[in-house]
Amino acid sequence: MDNNAPLSRQSIAFGIALAIASVVNALIVVVKEKSPTVMNGMKAVTGHHWTTHSALVVALFLGLGGLFTVLRKGRGIEIAASRLIGTLVSGVVLAGVIIIGFYLFAD
Amino acid sequence: MNEIVLMAHVLFGLGCMVAAVWLFVDVLHASEANLGRIRALSWGAAGLMWLAFVIGGYWYVTSYKVDKAIILKGPWPFAHNIVMETKEHLVIMLLLLVTYLPIVAYNNLAASKEARTLMLWLSAIIAVTALAMDGEGGLIAMGVKVGLLPR
Repeated sequence: MDNNAPLSRQSIAFGIALAIASVVNALIVVVKEKSPTVMNGMKAVTGHHWTTHSALVVALFLGLGGLFTVLRKGRGIEIAASRLIGTLVSGVVLAGVIIIGFYLFAD
Repeated sequence: MNEIVLMAHVLFGLGCMVAAVWLFVDVLHASEANLGRIRALSWGAAGLMWLAFVIGGYWYVTSYKVDKAIILKGPWPFAHNIVMETKEHLVIMLLLLVTYLPIVAYNNLAASKEARTLMLWLSAIIAVTALAMDGEGGLIAMGVKVGLLPR
């Protein structure tokens, strides 16, 4: 890691991956609860829909983080720290709103 | 044994929350002197969270159905329909947040204000979310209790 860079390329890559994976996590909740086919499919993969769901989201986070780290021939993604923090917080908040809102109002 | 497994889940989750608060304070005063501790705490928090997640997940998949049936027949069905349903999905996001901690901790927090700011936001979000998860767990346990009380 370049000690002069404000943020490592891994920090940026996995931060963006986290925001995306959080929102995808929330969307999977809506899709599986509304679709018996998806729910049963997820149950069939590991024996329990929640286990499949968790594995998918963790794999997405790690996969996207690794991918974003090596983009642009290993230079990663360039983004201001303030924008990264904004993206991260927005992703987490949006995911929370979707999950809580769904179970409060739409399930 | 089920109850011991469940309490271990709570213990590790609380340990993660305490580590996150400790991290927040340490990062506020980040310097070369405490960088090693910040990194160790980050790994510690991540390890505790993974333990809490795996143990809790195991209990949820193997044993929760009994408690769920009690809750749904009792006076607090929301303890499952809203509280457990949100908890089991928000906690996946919490797992990602805590797994991300050691990655951010390996920036030069003493030299980089940007890295410190990111770490402060991250540890604060983790602490608040972990506290919320603990509260939800308490409500779920109460849902079982009130479901068992004579009416």
